[in-house]
Amino acid sequence: MNDKLRINKLFILSSENRKMCFPLPLKNSIRIGKRDYIVQLKSDEKYGTYILWKNRKFPVEIVRARQNKYEILFNDISYTFTVETPFSMKRMKVLSTVKGKTEKESLKAPMPGKIIDVLVREGSIVLRGEPLMILEAMKMQNEIQSPVNGHVISIHAKPNSNVMKDDLLIELKVE
Amino acid sequence: MKITKILIANRGEIAIRIMKTARRMKISTVAIKTTAEPNAMYLSFADEVYDNTEDVSEIPIFLDIEKLISIALKTQANAVHPGYGFLAENAYFAQKCLDNKIIFIGPSPDAIYKMGNKTIARKLALKIGIPMAMGSTGNISNEEEAVKIAEKIGYPVIIKAASGGGGRGMRIVRKSDEMEKMFIIAGKEAEKAFNDPSVFVEKYIENPKHIEFQILGDTKGNIIHLGERECSIQRKHQKLLEESPSAALDDKLRKRMGKMAVQIAKAVNYYSAGTVEFLLDSEKKFYFMEMNTRIQVEHPVTEIVTGIDLVEQQIRIANGEELKIRQENVRLKGWAIECRINAEDVQAGFAPDPGKIEKLSMPSDSYVRIDTGIQAGSSIVSTYDSMIAKLIVSGRDRKEAIKNCKMALDKVWIKGTKTTLPFFRLLVRNQKFQDGTFTTAFIDELDKYYFNSEYEEMLAAWLATKMFSEENLRDSGTSKDPLNKSDMSPWLLNKRINQF
Repeated sequence: MNDKLRINKLFILSSENRKMCFPLPLKNSIRIGKRDYIVQLKSDEKYGTYILWKNRKFPVEIVRARQNKYEILFNDISYTFTVETPFSMKRMKVLSTVKGKTEKESLKAPMPGKIIDVLVREGSIVLRGEPLMILEAMKMQNEIQSPVNGHVISIHAKPNSNVMKDDLLIELKVE
Repeated sequence: MKITKILIANRGEIAIRIMKTARRMKISTVAIKTTAEPNAMYLSFADEVYDNTEDVSEIPIFLDIEKLISIALKTQANAVHPGYGFLAENAYFAQKCLDNKIIFIGPSPDAIYKMGNKTIARKLALKIGIPMAMGSTGNISNEEEAVKIAEKIGYPVIIKAASGGGGRGMRIVRKSDEMEKMFIIAGKEAEKAFNDPSVFVEKYIENPKHIEFQILGDTKGNIIHLGERECSIQRKHQKLLEESPSAALDDKLRKRMGKMAVQIAKAVNYYSAGTVEFLLDSEKKFYFMEMNTRIQVEHPVTEIVTGIDLVEQQIRIANGEELKIRQENVRLKGWAIECRINAEDVQAGFAPDPGKIEKLSMPSDSYVRIDTGIQAGSSIVSTYDSMIAKLIVSGRDRKEAIKNCKMALDKVWIKGTKTTLPFFRLLVRNQKFQDGTFTTAFIDELDKYYFNSEYEEMLAAWLATKMFSEENLRDSGTSKDPLNKSDMSPWLLNKRINQF
């Protein structure tokens, strides 16, 4: 029974849906071609936390860790990963076959700021690239453009309202 | 009257930049301590610090004309250097300094006013025959008028704020039914940013290169140029990387454009340092855009290739000295590139990412110059801009400068906020950038995946695996699956789903 549940590897899914696999127990090395290269997680006064690999230091930070979701800042680039066990991977596969393809597009605030103007109404037909809202952040006005052709289902921000990063702004029906 | 003491009406790296030259010239300096940054690095470079932390006024001190004049008088500074931004291009401030017998280190109030108002500047340039993009001769009051002009000169057109600058208050219009929307937005934005809703319309030059000429003029009427800078690497008209010279210019074109730049400066009897901006289209036709009447953020690249200290020249000119440099003696030697390392999240559309800089270490190679006002422990506050440092790299030619830039970028170490470093690391490896064929549209075309190499993502994934297994699988992986919350096997789950 225990043998069946033994977790002998972990899968890492990136936000771009790339899949990586690490056997357990986790080794302190990564194989590139035929060679293993040592990876070390270190920390000191001058550099803070870093990863040492191939004689090079890379700054690293765990920005967020929630359940099996991790945001990692590595060499100034942030990566969002989901960690899956062989079991949860299998379950995900099963679930994805029943869930239909979504035809709804939810637009979220790319940065914190203030909504200056809403240029569409519920029901408006929009074309890809058409400006929907104007979001002001750090005195710069940014257009929130439609990523798709479709129409507006609902609007979730009013002019002059402040929004946080990732707040839902608008929902579109893709056509 | 000779300058003996300068009040620095600015902060950050440019305050330090000015104070370094002043010290070398044995001129003392006064810096202003603010509530927003009471421990800022620039304060330690001043001979005297004026403590303004008691000030509870809503206007930042660097924008408060009356207060700045009173500080200059109180500290007996007989000159003010405005740096860039804030009041650097405010004609009223320059005039107020003169009225109080304080030397304003910059051009005349008249030159600032004329070049600051784009419609006046356009008329001036038109009068002396400087090539310009076609457009309205004056401000435009409504969208019908804008549509009429756009139809005459042809789409696309760009709506610009008359009092604008620095890339703000501009909207591109590609067809007439977009005009109403864009006209309203541009007007609103102009009013908000510059207190003046007036706009004008001009032909939009598709995918141009941004080329600007550094100007130096004295109060005796001598005006020269110090060659060009290319600033085509921009995002939403905000410059990110600048270089001097430009790969797009040959000596002949440089001479022609330089001559035009000097003519524009002459038209307003310009003195001090200034910059004439042009757009260069794919057929190497150039168009006058605007003149900036201040020292610019990107001035170091010109200093490196010409060997001229621009702040020193500004101070000498303000002292009434005659320019000692002749146009024929100006030589551009080598190549210089400046990267603006800002606290911005490039993966979130360059959104500002203010915060405390925990660790900071910069390369110290001979080909690197760092202009910064930030050190480990400093904070990037949302009150001011998001600049951390300017990384200025030189080489014998463009190829070597890019190679050195690559190495220097890999040595920069910043922890605490996200930075524009990934963008530059990607950029210097890009073929189009290396070829020098890029235009202002380049960033939109650039591949947005900021991976340095596939191994970096793998290393980050390794860390996520390490964290996950240390937190959840302490007894070496033989326990219950931490992600199996339902305790339902996938086979059973599959069966249930199939029943629907």
